[in-house]
Amino acid sequence: MVERTLHVLMIGWEWPPSHSGGLGVHVFELCQELARMGHRITFLLPFEGARTEIPGVSFRTPHDAGSTPYPGAYEIHGSPSGGWGDDDIDRFNRWIAGLPDDGYDILHAHDWFGAVGAARLAHRLSLPFVLTVHSTEYDRSLGHPWKQILAREQTGIDRADRVIAVSRHLKSQLVRQYRAAPDKVRVVYNAVRPSERLSAVTGGRKVVLYLGRLAAMKGVDTFLRAAARVAPAVPDALFVVAGEGPEFPRLLALAAHLNLSEQVMFLGRVTDEERTTLLTSTSVFVLPSVVEPFGIAALEAMAAGVPAIVSKTSGVAEITNSVFTVDFWDIDEFASRISELLAYPALRHTMGEAGRVSATREGWEERAIQTVGVYFELVTRGRR
Amino acid sequence: MKLVLYLHMHQPWRLGRFRYVDLGSGRPYVDERRNLEIFRGIADRCYRPALSRLSMALREFSEFRFSLSVTGTFLEQAERAAPDVLELLREVVETKRVALLSETYYHSLAFLLPPPELQEEVDRHRAALRAEFGVQPKVLRMTELAYSDDLALFAQQGSFRGMLMEGWEGVLGDRPSTHVYSAASAPSVRLLPRHYRLSDDVGFRFSSKGWSEYPLTSEKYVQWLASTPGEVVNLFMDFETFGEHHPASSGILDFLSALPRSVRRSPGLEWATVEDALDLPDRGPVSVPVTISWADQNRDLGAWLGNDLQRSAFEAAKKVGVLARRARDPEILEVWRRLLTSDHFYYMYVGGHGADAGVHQYFSAYGSPYDAYANYMNALTDLRRRAIERLAP
Repeated sequence: MVERTLHVLMIGWEWPPSHSGGLGVHVFELCQELARMGHRITFLLPFEGARTEIPGVSFRTPHDAGSTPYPGAYEIHGSPSGGWGDDDIDRFNRWIAGLPDDGYDILHAHDWFGAVGAARLAHRLSLPFVLTVHSTEYDRSLGHPWKQILAREQTGIDRADRVIAVSRHLKSQLVRQYRAAPDKVRVVYNAVRPSERLSAVTGGRKVVLYLGRLAAMKGVDTFLRAAARVAPAVPDALFVVAGEGPEFPRLLALAAHLNLSEQVMFLGRVTDEERTTLLTSTSVFVLPSVVEPFGIAALEAMAAGVPAIVSKTSGVAEITNSVFTVDFWDIDEFASRISELLAYPALRHTMGEAGRVSATREGWEERAIQTVGVYFELVTRGRR
Repeated sequence: MKLVLYLHMHQPWRLGRFRYVDLGSGRPYVDERRNLEIFRGIADRCYRPALSRLSMALREFSEFRFSLSVTGTFLEQAERAAPDVLELLREVVETKRVALLSETYYHSLAFLLPPPELQEEVDRHRAALRAEFGVQPKVLRMTELAYSDDLALFAQQGSFRGMLMEGWEGVLGDRPSTHVYSAASAPSVRLLPRHYRLSDDVGFRFSSKGWSEYPLTSEKYVQWLASTPGEVVNLFMDFETFGEHHPASSGILDFLSALPRSVRRSPGLEWATVEDALDLPDRGPVSVPVTISWADQNRDLGAWLGNDLQRSAFEAAKKVGVLARRARDPEILEVWRRLLTSDHFYYMYVGGHGADAGVHQYFSAYGSPYDAYANYMNALTDLRRRAIERLAP
């Protein structure tokens, strides 16, 4: 049977080049693969502005959004009065809820931002509704959720016909904390694009890298405290923090307090190209997140042949055995794992190579096929 | 047709987590409590029930005979965790119908080290067997059934009359594994080749529901044995086959109990120990220039030294060995020898082909080969520091 192609109405809130986390990568790669498979995507964004175009994907934004530069969802959470306030988000959701029927087969929203509007539109047009959850408000806020956001998440999860979680760990959290019915939650992991093997040109100093947002849930202070244990014994180690976020001033102060100024470097935000170069010269990648629904940055590092140390709660640890996993609070263990990878070249190389193979085993195409599998749980297969 | 049942008993001293930050802390590498806990568990499930059944069979069937090898690290753990298991062992050995074999005390890879390491470890094991059981074995088995021309020469120099080897076509060619051969390099050493198919029917396949012969009864198995052409069937396997690798619920212990009875009903079959089998006619010399083992599909040393992690760890251990010997500190030497136990290297095995990978994961004490390697290297690095400290004037 030839499977019919679908017209997917997808709702996100970030899209390359202006994305800050795994969600932007996920929707971009997913749409690219869906389009390649012949499906059509209409993508709703709350803002105008620079967008990486993909054939088969058309964009719609609310007319009143103007060309406000998009501030990034986490900043929305961090400062609800500035940037995107609750009113703006309501307006976006009302706009979604009132959209006309353009022959969509399925509605697919990502995270909480447009979830309420999506639920109402799905009801109005009798569309099957899929919601992908990339992270939860409980985690982003380390247990102090913003009530308005929590309510939007809950509505999305309650009203969705299928919920996709990016790891089993996240699925069990959705079942526990959001009372999601387990049989309607599916797991589709993130992936990376296979890249050329990047040989490690460590250029003198051994780079230990953290790359990601500087947010409390990311546990970057653990990275610095572990660095302080390793640094004295390995004077040629350089601990690099790449990324930006609200924790930056505190982390900078902590590095100074730990007497690490000589061996820590804060790079700020890095472009995709800079990131590739950075990974080429990295010996060890560390993702010490307190909570990490997936942890795509670790997968990208592994795909580049860099051995990774991730916290035990990271979703990425579910798809590979070729990483070190550590309890997020165990600074000694992080320090030990970093030292071991720096001290034993055979370990670094074998684990790096095995990580590269396992990180690229299933790419975005497999993830898109799995996502379409979820669509077809709700839409009849075969041509109409 | 002679029937040689030989069971191998071994437990390694597994390392506890010894982190890089623990270097220089004086923390022990071996987590003794955990090892003894594991031993007690296996004693409950396997050693005690299986030895009791073997002991009962010896009483009931006067013709029943078998062979055992017991490593030094096993004896140490048994003494501390389950002394009654040692008592059971003494009981069966005292019947004189159970032959013991020689090997390295530590179940080690000492055969890959320069002399006199191998000699010293085999001597130490011999002394332990004499003290514990009052016997002196005539047959040598090397760790993981490793065998080569050089090892046969070593056996001959140690006055051993026989060695065990894998009955693999790769070295036997067209010759059946149901004969006794002699070592091309050491004509006085008889070779007993393992019948790997019939051994693995019990050792690996017994509880596998997908196996076409499942379930395996003792009657069916004895029929296979009786219809095998040749002079001897060597059934060599881990003792832990009975109750540990296959749980009691699979019926493996009952199978063990039923075997002597079924063999008695089959007139052509006659139990023998490895020492009895030495008197069978020598069917010609066998040459094995490159070391073989009983592991995996390739029968080489790949399970222990097949990847970069394993090779680099072993090379590092060799170097520390030079320092450890020079330090003339018995404790340092003892700790180093425990680190030569082959199991540590087995845990560092990465990936592999289908069936073998599953077997490796089953036996591993770690979450991943990288954990195993890092932990091992930390311990070795710490020991190296200790040895150097001792050498400093």
